[in-house]
Amino acid sequence: MAVFAVFQTTFLLALLSWRTYQSEALSEPLPLTPESLKVSINSTQQCLHLQWSVHSLAYHQELKMVFQIEISRFNTSNVIWVENYSTTVKWKQVLHWNWESELPLECATHFVRIRSMVDNARIPEPRSWSSWSSWEEVDERNSLGHGALFVFPKDKLVEEGSSVTICSISRSYQNNVSCLLEGVQMRGEQLDPNVSAFHLNNVPFIRETGTNIFCTTGRGDGTGTVLFVSKVLEEPRDFSCETPDFKTLHCTWDPGSDTGLPKRQPSQSYTLFESFSGKKILCEHKNWCNWQVAQDSQEMYNFTLTTENYLRKRGVNILFNLTHRVRPMTPFNVVFKNISDTNATMTWQVHSIGNYSTLFCQIELHGEGKVIQHNVSIKVNGNYLLSELEPDTQYMAQVRCGDANHFWKWSEWIGKNFSTLEAAPSEAPDVWRNVKSEPGYQTVTLFWKPLSKSHANEKILFYNVVIENLDEPSKLQLHSIPAPANGTKLTLDQCSYQIHVTANNSVGTSPASVIVVSGDTGNKVEEERVNVTEDGFSMSWKPQPGDVTGYVVEWCDHPRDLPCDLQWEKLGPNTTSTVISSDAFIPGVRYNFRIYGISTKRIAYLLEQKTGYSQELAPSDNPQVVMSNLTSHSFTLSWKDYSTESQPGFIRGYHVYLKSKEGECHPGFEKAILPDDSVSCKYKIYNPEQKTFVVENLQPESFYEFFVTPYTSVGEGPLDAFTKVTTPDEHSHLLIRIILPTVFCVLLIMIICYLNSQWMKEKCYPDIPDPYKSSVLSLIKSKENPRLTIMSVKDCIPDAIEVINKPEGSKIQFLGSRNSLTDTEITQPAYLYLLPTEKNSSGPGPCICFENFTYNQAASNSGCCGHVPVPPEAPSQLGLLTSPENLLKVLENNYMNSLGEIPAGETTLNYVSQLVLPLSRDKDSLQTDPPVPALCSEYKMQMAIPLGLASPPPNEKSSVSSVTLLDQGEPHH
Amino acid sequence: MDLRAGDSWGMLACLCTVLWHLPAVPALNRTGDPGPGPSIQKTYDLTRYLEHQLRSLAGTYLNYLGPPFNEPDFNPPRLGAETLPRATVNLEVWRSLNDKLRLTQNYEAYSHLLCYLRGLNRQAATAELRRSLAHFCTSLQGLLGSIAGVMAALGYPLPQPLPGTEPTWSPDPAHSDFLQKMDDFWLLKELQTWLWRSAKDFNRLKKKMQPPAAAVTLHLEAHGF
Repeated sequence: MAVFAVFQTTFLLALLSWRTYQSEALSEPLPLTPESLKVSINSTQQCLHLQWSVHSLAYHQELKMVFQIEISRFNTSNVIWVENYSTTVKWKQVLHWNWESELPLECATHFVRIRSMVDNARIPEPRSWSSWSSWEEVDERNSLGHGALFVFPKDKLVEEGSSVTICSISRSYQNNVSCLLEGVQMRGEQLDPNVSAFHLNNVPFIRETGTNIFCTTGRGDGTGTVLFVSKVLEEPRDFSCETPDFKTLHCTWDPGSDTGLPKRQPSQSYTLFESFSGKKILCEHKNWCNWQVAQDSQEMYNFTLTTENYLRKRGVNILFNLTHRVRPMTPFNVVFKNISDTNATMTWQVHSIGNYSTLFCQIELHGEGKVIQHNVSIKVNGNYLLSELEPDTQYMAQVRCGDANHFWKWSEWIGKNFSTLEAAPSEAPDVWRNVKSEPGYQTVTLFWKPLSKSHANEKILFYNVVIENLDEPSKLQLHSIPAPANGTKLTLDQCSYQIHVTANNSVGTSPASVIVVSGDTGNKVEEERVNVTEDGFSMSWKPQPGDVTGYVVEWCDHPRDLPCDLQWEKLGPNTTSTVISSDAFIPGVRYNFRIYGISTKRIAYLLEQKTGYSQELAPSDNPQVVMSNLTSHSFTLSWKDYSTESQPGFIRGYHVYLKSKEGECHPGFEKAILPDDSVSCKYKIYNPEQKTFVVENLQPESFYEFFVTPYTSVGEGPLDAFTKVTTPDEHSHLLIRIILPTVFCVLLIMIICYLNSQWMKEKCYPDIPDPYKSSVLSLIKSKENPRLTIMSVKDCIPDAIEVINKPEGSKIQFLGSRNSLTDTEITQPAYLYLLPTEKNSSGPGPCICFENFTYNQAASNSGCCGHVPVPPEAPSQLGLLTSPENLLKVLENNYMNSLGEIPAGETTLNYVSQLVLPLSRDKDSLQTDPPVPALCSEYKMQMAIPLGLASPPPNEKSSVSSVTLLDQGEPHH
Repeated sequence: MDLRAGDSWGMLACLCTVLWHLPAVPALNRTGDPGPGPSIQKTYDLTRYLEHQLRSLAGTYLNYLGPPFNEPDFNPPRLGAETLPRATVNLEVWRSLNDKLRLTQNYEAYSHLLCYLRGLNRQAATAELRRSLAHFCTSLQGLLGSIAGVMAALGYPLPQPLPGTEPTWSPDPAHSDFLQKMDDFWLLKELQTWLWRSAKDFNRLKKKMQPPAAAVTLHLEAHGF
């Protein structure tokens, strides 16, 4: 037993000492190296996944440790990542750690190693790292397959605005890979002879089917990848919940953008979580969700709405009392009862929201372009009396309700239309009249304004006009005027009449409007000008001493038209001023206003008459000015036809403009510059009724221009053309005074002379007595002595013609022809034998010839009396000149040749003398018998030859070479 | 029978009318059995119509895929589209095809393409695109029936699909989305090429099956009505 006890003690001591050793050993740093390191790739997440364990840990031992992880790319020396990972390590625990690579892991070989250090506060510094694990290599490129070109990452999902690195792996060293993003080439970075990387920053959302990246080596191969860019998940906005009936909560929110991508990511989901009850529901709709209210009378609710997609999770929270979130359901069963012409009762029902709840309802009445609101509190059924409605009017009434205890939101509106009943017109029509008195009768034109809808109460069908003869009250006339007429014309005698006008609709008659017209034409009053203010025509009148029931102001809206659209305004008896305004008033139109007083007998009598313009304008045209009394020093202008009434402003006077060459202005005129910048003299006439003006102090035989234009307060008329006038000579009137009587006297004398010409002739130059007609002859005959006779000239036969050639007259010069007759000069007297000298000497005696140098006339057809200069070489000319035609021809030729050279042979015509033609012979016979002298004792024909052509000027010394028919007697001149 | 002048004119007019409308009478518009000619013509017309319809559909679909698929000169490698029936064939081989083989190739090609196209329709994201694709599938089904009609008229049996070899156009899980887009691209391109080829095939058949010249003249006249 003692041995057992000793053994037991020894064992306990030994155990104690082992425990002590063990605790001492733990207090020192332990070389706990990470073991069994495995590295794998998650391509979807682009993550390197590491797992390892620490085998040296004791049973149930927990140690806080730090693991340092190094990651290299392409080779072990190219360390790209170092991270310390702290964690508590348990016995046999497998540790995990992830690292997300920016570069797709398929594009590069990665090396990973790890070491550890115990992170125990009881262990003093410095602590030491364990040794590194061996490098673990991860290379996905070996498992890519047989393709020549690869692009990574595949179908990567990122948020809009992210940065992404794309890489391409080419199997061949020579391949120069180019990559296009949506058709646009990207700039890459060569990481390795086979690997290129393309960094994309802030990638945009382009389309739901993803952003395409296509890489090619340009040798017919090519592949790509799709980058799915999702919109950023937004936090739900305006999240709120409300209950219509304490049974369900209706929660709504604004979801924002949809982040769904059809082939890569579904739309974001929404989850509703209530923290007090711990309940959670997945919402089927993206913007609302219904929550069933529990029966355990939970009042407070704390909701969290969470939305998430593959990339992000967001949430919003609201906390509320259920009773403060009551929005009643839309009322129903709206009915209108007891509808009259002015009232209606509206009733409606509401869904119950609790036993003791009260609802606050709002009623809106729409009608006549107005909206009227009424409020009412109800329990279950609501009703409201709508009063003061217009008859025969359509209304729309709508109602909505809210919780009266804790108002949250109104329900939806519910409305209905109704119409009030019809009624008789409530007001008498506003009637006015226009009376025109004619001898024996008067024409009364009645006007009335249509009743407003509120007064008409229904469509007016007709107006009744009752005419009552005040002198014979029993006589009544009724005229029914169908609507919509607004007046009628009555022809009445000169008696006084009371006229009643009523408006009628289908229900009844309005009160009557009464006016009285009497045969009295009324007094005439002077027209005054009316003041114009910004508000309109401001007018006032003197209050009438007698009993006046009111006043009426009357005017025409369109005074230039016919009818002029008569307007009136009725005013109370205490009103003595008003402002008349109308949209119809336009500038430049004169409006006339008549103010009537209405007597107690309802007779209107004219009080005042006013006129004015809403806005005066400058005259639009100028008067037609007539000029008269033009003298050398003055003239008179008048424009009496110019009407000052129909102008666009009150004519204040006229401007007379006068322009003269001198440019000086006469007294009374002033210099003025016209709109066309010309300078003129201006005279101002200040009296609009002065329509004549005498322009004085003018210069004789001077040129003036004048122009008359009216002016208003705004300005003068348009600049028209000036009228031109020239003053006459100062003595011209004297001349006229002398010449006119002289001319008159001469004419008178001439007329007298003409009337007494026979007498004058007899007195001054009696007829040469005709021997054949002489009384002597008859006396001789009567004495029966037949042998006695009077010698006839035709019996004379000249035997010779002597041509006298004067030496000083050898040259003949023609006016207009410088040809001389030098060549044809006759140097010796020539004798032209017209008859056989010896043989024919038995002919009659010499002929009597008359020569007149004043009138170079020829009638050569006589053949014997022509003073014919005969050129020696052209004797036959004589024959040619024997006929009047030939003579005329020659004359014409001479005339025609007067500007040119005249043939020498034709010069003879210059000396054709007067001769006598036998009355009884014609030209033919003359031609056949040329040499025979005709009756030479009479002047029968005178032919005028142009002076310049036929005769030389008298001052020239060219004497004629004349051919004279010589006679024994003296020639008669 | 007493014929008067007026009657004879009436008969002449009637005869003229009948002769005028003679080509329009189907029973008289044939020199006997019409044969497969009209069916081939209809099939030819249908290929031309589908070609036109596909041009619009392909434009919409390729825009939906985005660049570079909608670029006119985009020509990626076929890669996953190797299973599609190829329309391109050596010219000499095409000329030497007999009618039966020619029609069989067409029938088989459109059978496959129709299946692929239905798969494409299921994947389309937008409702409008699905509607367009469904409409085109219906038309393509009509073309298939038309080809079957021609084959039946010529007495050729329809090729029977091998059990379990129903082609599908479902995305390969290993396929990236880009490769799937390339397959879609090639499906539409191959379909277009097939419609071109079919137009040539049926034109050739049409010429081959043409009736004698007189009948052709009558036929053309009939078109005028």
